[in-house]
Amino acid sequence: MAPRTVAPFGPQHPVLPEPIQLKITYEDEKVVDVVPAIGYGHRGIEKACELNEYPKNIYLCERICGICSCIHGISYCEVVERLWPIDVPPRAKYLRTIWSEMSRTHSHLLWLGLLADAFGFESMFMQFWRIREKVLDLLEMTTGQRVTQSISVVGGVRRDIDDEQKKKCIEVLREVRKESEALINVLANDYTVKARTVGKGVLTKEQAIALGCTGPHLRASGVKEDCRMQGLQAYGDLGFEPIVEKDGDCYARTLVRCRELLQAIDLQLEAFSKMPEGEIAVRPKGNPPANEAVYRAEQPRGEVFYYAKGNGTRNLERLRVRTPTYANIPSLLVMLPGCELPDVPVIVLSIDPCISCTER
Amino acid sequence: MIENIKEVKKDELLAEVKKFADAKARFVTAVCNDLGDKLEVTYFFNMSPGMEMHGLRMTVGKDEEVPSTTGIFLTTVLIENEMKEMFGLKVKDIAIDFGGHMLLAQDSPVTPMLKTGAAGGKGGE
Repeated sequence: MAPRTVAPFGPQHPVLPEPIQLKITYEDEKVVDVVPAIGYGHRGIEKACELNEYPKNIYLCERICGICSCIHGISYCEVVERLWPIDVPPRAKYLRTIWSEMSRTHSHLLWLGLLADAFGFESMFMQFWRIREKVLDLLEMTTGQRVTQSISVVGGVRRDIDDEQKKKCIEVLREVRKESEALINVLANDYTVKARTVGKGVLTKEQAIALGCTGPHLRASGVKEDCRMQGLQAYGDLGFEPIVEKDGDCYARTLVRCRELLQAIDLQLEAFSKMPEGEIAVRPKGNPPANEAVYRAEQPRGEVFYYAKGNGTRNLERLRVRTPTYANIPSLLVMLPGCELPDVPVIVLSIDPCISCTER
Repeated sequence: MIENIKEVKKDELLAEVKKFADAKARFVTAVCNDLGDKLEVTYFFNMSPGMEMHGLRMTVGKDEEVPSTTGIFLTTVLIENEMKEMFGLKVKDIAIDFGGHMLLAQDSPVTPMLKTGAAGGKGGE
């Protein structure tokens, strides 16, 4: 029997933009055990949300993550609105949907770039990120910010999208779709990409459910679950259908994200065409009542869970946020043992880890 | 108001969680609340396929030990460690026990999510 070696993967590693450590035990080149270690970026945001008045928590929740910042802000507002409850105007629901899908578009483009970079495909990495810039420009044009948009407020949204901006968004989104499609065709059919991803980090449907996986990671194993199926915001009007693959390997996860990227653009175009006229916000009356509520949204990495408990004051009694990567990390304990050491970075990357989210 | 929450006793927890595992439900998360002299823990499950969610709610004293559910759902390993270090929930036999330092550092405040003593002593003191 070959001697066992324990090696740290992270917290600083070329494929990890954020710090997480995996203590990997391996024999020869085969991984036999893995223990995750997190805690490098814990900020106590849940506690801070109890100490701040509820409207200010939007800005805190948006800082849980820089990539899905917009959906964090929206999800916080949605869960707090459920405490009253407050009925948000239909136009605000459409605007929230558009900005959520815009976030998904740039997040998936970011991940595809990182994946290309992990393979050493430098120019493909830069092409994906070049396209992503266009989406960030749209976010800046419509919300005023590229990253932490602070566009959602309790009761609706802060800004409207006017006709000129809408026209520009549609034009750029069509361009982004066309360019993304061309790059996806190269990525999905490339020999090296397939060699590095097909049959790697396989998770069966049963394992994915038992391990509590979520998002593209779960759907790549054949499970048709997506929070957008709840029909919240404008999704109920948009004929949304989750994208599912069956093989449960790194390649299937890549394909789910590629198809979701194109779908997100289509959803935005459809939402623009159906968006009703009207108010964009209502003013909440009084403080959040003594009640509790749960809200689940589909972020680019999967389901985010918000729990809020009010006590009748301007401060919340409790806010709990369970982010997608938090749910997806335990699956690494099953996917990594048995794999070859060089496959570890791609398998880890295939869950699209966001540690900033995980630690809050 | 959250729908589909069932109150359970500490001794019934594992049997009730097992029912969700047998029904092929997906564990979503758990939420811990400080009620003053007690802790309230709610486990949320998604009934796969679909998006229907159910919960199990248990109220325990702050000194009471509670069983780990990691033997049924391995994925609860992170949240059980988190509740242990943030609220002082005494979870026994967690599959991977980070010893109170999964998220908190050695010199972080102890059980910072409790309503009293949140800014209390340091871990090393």
